[in-house]
Amino acid sequence: MTRRAQCLAAAALVLAGCSSGDRKPEVEYNCPANALEIEVLQREITRFEADSGIRIKLNPFSGQDKLYAMMAAGKAPDIFYTSSTMRDRLAAEDRILDLRTVSKGDPLPGRLWPHVILNGTSVDGGWYSLGNWEFTCGVYYRKDLFREAGLSPPDSSWTWDDMVSLARKLTRPPGPDGRGGRYGIFIGSHFVEALELMNGADIPREMLLLRIPAESADLYRRYVALMDEGIMPDLLRMQAMGMQPAQLLENGKVAMLVEAVPNQSLIEAMTAPWGVAPLPRFPGKKPAYFRSASGGLSLSASTRDPGAAWKALKWIVTEASTYQPNPVLRDVDFTGGWEKRYPQLLGSGFRQVWDLSLEHNGGDPRFFVRFSSWTSGPILERLQPLLDQVWARKKPVDSLLAAIPAINSEVRREIAVTSATMTMKPEFREKIEQALKEMHDHSAF
Amino acid sequence: MRLNERSQLPLVAGISLRYALTYAVLMLLGALFLIPFLWMLSVSLQDAQGMFALPFRWIPDRPRWENYGAALSAVPFGRYLFNTSVITASVLCLTLFSCTLVAYGFSRLRFPGRDMLFAVCISTMMLPGQVTMIPLYMAYARLGWVDTYLPLIVPSLFGSPFYIFLLRQFFLTIFREYDEAALLDGAGRLRIYWSIVLPLARPAIATVTLFCFIGTWNDFFGPLIYLNSPEKATLTLGLNMLKSQVIGSGSVQWHILMAASVLVMLPNIIVFFLAQKQFIRGIQIGGLRG
Repeated sequence: MTRRAQCLAAAALVLAGCSSGDRKPEVEYNCPANALEIEVLQREITRFEADSGIRIKLNPFSGQDKLYAMMAAGKAPDIFYTSSTMRDRLAAEDRILDLRTVSKGDPLPGRLWPHVILNGTSVDGGWYSLGNWEFTCGVYYRKDLFREAGLSPPDSSWTWDDMVSLARKLTRPPGPDGRGGRYGIFIGSHFVEALELMNGADIPREMLLLRIPAESADLYRRYVALMDEGIMPDLLRMQAMGMQPAQLLENGKVAMLVEAVPNQSLIEAMTAPWGVAPLPRFPGKKPAYFRSASGGLSLSASTRDPGAAWKALKWIVTEASTYQPNPVLRDVDFTGGWEKRYPQLLGSGFRQVWDLSLEHNGGDPRFFVRFSSWTSGPILERLQPLLDQVWARKKPVDSLLAAIPAINSEVRREIAVTSATMTMKPEFREKIEQALKEMHDHSAF
Repeated sequence: MRLNERSQLPLVAGISLRYALTYAVLMLLGALFLIPFLWMLSVSLQDAQGMFALPFRWIPDRPRWENYGAALSAVPFGRYLFNTSVITASVLCLTLFSCTLVAYGFSRLRFPGRDMLFAVCISTMMLPGQVTMIPLYMAYARLGWVDTYLPLIVPSLFGSPFYIFLLRQFFLTIFREYDEAALLDGAGRLRIYWSIVLPLARPAIATVTLFCFIGTWNDFFGPLIYLNSPEKATLTLGLNMLKSQVIGSGSVQWHILMAASVLVMLPNIIVFFLAQKQFIRGIQIGGLRG
């Protein structure tokens, strides 16, 4: 070998050595972050990379269409957000990993609240997503308006009837110029579902067909009655005005408001004195407070390095500062962290609302969560227009109950087609067919 | 009372009542369409609470021009402006090149199957974007174009049926005698296209330029699907980054978002005013002949 060839071979070896040493596993994280969060995450990712040797490539442009296109092209990001309406389908199609397989021997599952794992579990028993955020809901109220009316603020023992009675006392008719009026309470229709739970409605997870328990129907009637009585603003009017709930409370247009707890935008928007109480109870019914469970982060089945993807996911949930303090972790003082961030939460009732929701966790009864991901679309496209009419007081609650058999018959047909035509793992198909068979003769359907 | 000679309607200060009424209605409608823009402008100059004030204050007590500074620094605005400009300029050039050429062919050349080809071309307008999204994404992914500007720019080289239709309609209004005279003088088809048809079609070209500019500048879905890296984002993605939060309950700084929206809209407004005269003529003439 000539001297020149030897030099070239040595240079090639050096270059090859350099490139292989720099070959770190790369994990693409598709997250809906804003500019500030990206900046913070990028900084922390650099530190994570130095510690773990794993690169995280941040892809902040997310959306369901984009995700499906990426998957179809075999370019799915390694970590992405899945909602409850898509998770089961993706699991059945073998597009996301069962986190049990990648988390073996890892202490993280032991640090999570048990319901967090349950919420990400599908019908085959696999754990497919790790929730990265949770919230409950409560009744925010204006302390000054209560004081002005000589009323005591609500506590954890208050009932629906107490709430209605307080709302009546706090309602003020508008002046002659049409201004200055106030409603006692406002409950957005998407929070009615949380109150169904409090009224004792039995709402299991992953329902394939529509069922409206008697307690739910009772709650719907009570809800509509609030508008009939004029102590809650008309939902249609509210939608037309495009009012933000926080705006209603801040401006004193309502004295009480059911909203998410914690609610960052409400906390930041409120300048008037406020407090928050747990949802009202119903006599004789066990409390079952709302606890969100709509989605979490999943790992793509096409990820090249599942171990690295899991480590990155774990870091995001437990250490990335944009997600901290994280309510899904048992050993984290979530309420303390939020009180530190927002001192106005101290003495507001926030801690009590939060603790009660953990003690009496009723789960997530929202319509898009209570049904299985195979049927939530077909059910909701038929149910939602009817619900809207009931909330607009154009149809009675009984019309909803009367529509159940027809809706279920159509949904059953659709799901049978899905089961027959969709490519899915056998255990998912078996579960669907078994569930359909069991429900076939059940009187409730 | 003085009357208009033609319409026999009364004249008010020398102006026909009919015209006065027409303008009044148009001004009212114009004001109606302006309200959302004025609202955005007003919120962009208020504090964080301004949007929620009841009743809404259209003119803030103290305009907060600093919101615009905050909007410029909230996202890498300059970078996104550059990215958007590169994409828009490229798409504009390629669209004008391809669409005028195809429209010229459909309007001036005679060849078998021309009208059927034109019908096929127009019928592609009926295809919703959602239908072609996944196959296109797969094709671009295979070409290695994802997370580059190529999927946003290259398709414009193959024309757009709407612009082709608009230009063809306009080209049909240009007298064929010009072409014949040029042919007699020895000009080829491309020379006629370049030296006669294009200069005469300025209003239609201005219209297409305006539509294409606004469409590309404001495009959100294309960049969202094909771009992954934050540094390659466009202005519309940047606006979305001001809105979205990692955690659902996070607050949105609406006044900053509105200031950024005004800044993003500005080029559209400037281009519209620059091309306004030609644009209106282009629309009028382009819609005359079928």
